[in-house]
Amino acid sequence: MIDIHLYGKLRRFARDQDPTSPSIVAVTWESGDTIRSIVLRLGIPLTDLGSNMFLNGRYATLDATVQDGDRLGLFPDDMQLLYKWYFSPSQGSAAAKSRQGSPDSTSPIGGGTKSEG
Amino acid sequence: MRGRLIVANPGIVVRQQHAGKDATEDVRRGIGAPPSIQVRFSCPTPGIATIVGGQLNNQSTRNGYGLKGAPMDRFLRVDMSARTVSFEDIPSKYKNRAGRWLTSSIIHDEVPATCHPLGPNNKLVFSPGIVTGTASPTSSRISVGGKSPLTGGIKEANAGTGWARRLAKLGIRALIVEGQADGFWTLKIDCHGASFEPAESWTGERLSDVYPTMFDRFDSLESVDICSIGIAGEHRMPAAGICFNDQNGRPSRYAGRGGLGAVMGSKGLKFIVINDAGAEGISIADQETFDGGRKKMAAALTDHAITKPQGALNSYGTAVLVNIINEAGALPTNNFRTGRFDGAAKIAGEAIFEGNKARTGAELYNHACSPGCIIRCSNTWHREDGTEHTSCIEYESAWALGANCGVDNLDQVAEMNLLCNEYGLDTIEIGGTLAVAMEGGVADFGDGAKAIELIHEIGKATPLGKILGAGAKVAGKTFGVARVPHVKGQNMPAYEPRAIKGIGMTYAISTMGADHTAGYTIAPEILGVSGKLDPLNPDKVELARNFQYATAFIDTTGHCLFIAFAILDIASGFEGMVEECNGVLGTAWTADDVGRIGKEILDLELDFNRRAGFTPADDRLPEFMTYEPLPPHDVVWDISESDIDSVFG
Repeated sequence: MIDIHLYGKLRRFARDQDPTSPSIVAVTWESGDTIRSIVLRLGIPLTDLGSNMFLNGRYATLDATVQDGDRLGLFPDDMQLLYKWYFSPSQGSAAAKSRQGSPDSTSPIGGGTKSEG
Repeated sequence: MRGRLIVANPGIVVRQQHAGKDATEDVRRGIGAPPSIQVRFSCPTPGIATIVGGQLNNQSTRNGYGLKGAPMDRFLRVDMSARTVSFEDIPSKYKNRAGRWLTSSIIHDEVPATCHPLGPNNKLVFSPGIVTGTASPTSSRISVGGKSPLTGGIKEANAGTGWARRLAKLGIRALIVEGQADGFWTLKIDCHGASFEPAESWTGERLSDVYPTMFDRFDSLESVDICSIGIAGEHRMPAAGICFNDQNGRPSRYAGRGGLGAVMGSKGLKFIVINDAGAEGISIADQETFDGGRKKMAAALTDHAITKPQGALNSYGTAVLVNIINEAGALPTNNFRTGRFDGAAKIAGEAIFEGNKARTGAELYNHACSPGCIIRCSNTWHREDGTEHTSCIEYESAWALGANCGVDNLDQVAEMNLLCNEYGLDTIEIGGTLAVAMEGGVADFGDGAKAIELIHEIGKATPLGKILGAGAKVAGKTFGVARVPHVKGQNMPAYEPRAIKGIGMTYAISTMGADHTAGYTIAPEILGVSGKLDPLNPDKVELARNFQYATAFIDTTGHCLFIAFAILDIASGFEGMVEECNGVLGTAWTADDVGRIGKEILDLELDFNRRAGFTPADDRLPEFMTYEPLPPHDVVWDISESDIDSVFG
């Protein structure tokens, strides 16, 4: 089984939707599961999903492989503290896409001060 | 060019200095040997200088200097020993400095590093940022600097408040408080000058009782903003912060960390009341560049998911982080014993939002703590009867007074938050101290009622209260506790460094002691701003350095640190920040100057701390973190000492 901890408006996919307690859905693990496959199986629209997802407490992406017994934490788009373009550049803002380098590159600040190290 | 002097005070001495010339003019009236007031000022350009009248007796003095028409920024120096004020031209080397850059420069240059923080040789410096007081969004920060009684090192703490805008608009780039007065005093500053009044009768009171009557006394909230210390500062407790009112007059916005409230108390300064009516505002060297920059900044803040209207911070406040950091296994719980708290959801931003809705019948989006803020992240919490209980329950406060003490009752957390605001205390240090006291058997983890009683002890300034008001390190020594999560005497904030190594580096090397705002490495590690990083990867050296430099620069602009979310993701927002500064100052800074200036600030602070006696041995996380694995990740603090020392080495 996989325990999925849902927050914000994603709580509607759980039986207990009280925001002052965990809204947990238990899902049967299937071989080859990723966060994406589990989210789709639960019927959560990908557009509702924020980019904050934590697999066993580690920051993860939709394509992360999920093992039986894992804990998954999902936050909705209106609680997201990440840009979606980290996962899907086509959904990003023009400003974000125009940013230099890949999403993994350092910030303008990092670039500006690197040489001084 | 001579200014015109009007002296209405009997028995005062006025020394007037023009443009560096010693054009001293003594004006003596009255009888005997009265208290001497010296108003020294310089008039670099034509203008009218007015000494306004007031009562002068053994207890009370008033004097002033007209600011109206002054086209250039100045320093206002306040000598509490003599209760005199003087205006000074800004030395050329400080020409472009403001905010943290300026407070740290003045502390570095004027304060003996080995002085006692509560003695006469320490100084307290207030400085609004470069763009504070302009139309730039989210920029009403005031930096407060001094030698910290909590850490023994240099300190800059900042707050968002209309007080900062008024000081900036009066053309006061730095307010420097020195000396020590007997008793407690109010300093009132307006465009006619600065004056003193006795404030003894206002001491020993809760700040929510004091502020409304102070607004009445000095006109109204529309006219003035008030800076104050509470009971904790009056008793010179190292956990005392400096309080400013928010836009609704609540005494709720704090330059909280490092005990600067105790420094203000040691000066005998209870209030600084500012009225900016008649002030001309900020002079802008290049309006076009400034406008271009502020529009880019506004666009970035409005566009970004974290900072936009009804985005994460506006809806759920900073406490949105409780559930997120808890999921990441990095929410320090029960005095940093574990990284997950079973009751996290009960004290999180969502619970605050939904709880308010249930109790008031309305969806309450958050408000701006200070004028001109787009992010608007300041929340309120309401009682069961729908009346307001407290504002603002920040993430750090919900964590410190909640999870870190094992308390999952939001009403109890709210009451503790309120009491910290009432007594003038840093919520982070107090939450950390209560947790250490719980570790030492003073109370049980999770006993919110007892925690509330203990904060009342601080408010009553009992011996136990004074021990707790001295912070977590003192509590650890007092109660025989080895698990004291501090660096340089300052308790850690709400991110577990064993789980998020970059924030651990920030804690270790910060000139401020354990301080998340010194370099917000939490942003890229957990929040994902500016790239994905694995929080558990120990290669954090360069990250920590660059974020400390960038943070020091943001603290200089007058912007709230939360703009970092937007400007690190949106390149034009970052450009906008630099262009705004260029517009105000007439400089030609580029992104490279952000790092250069940040480095300069840190170098000043590091030099002060070295002269104060700090060594690399002070740049260490507490030992228990190296041998106690933190659940749920079961990780220890494993960054090498050589890596830590290489950051600023």
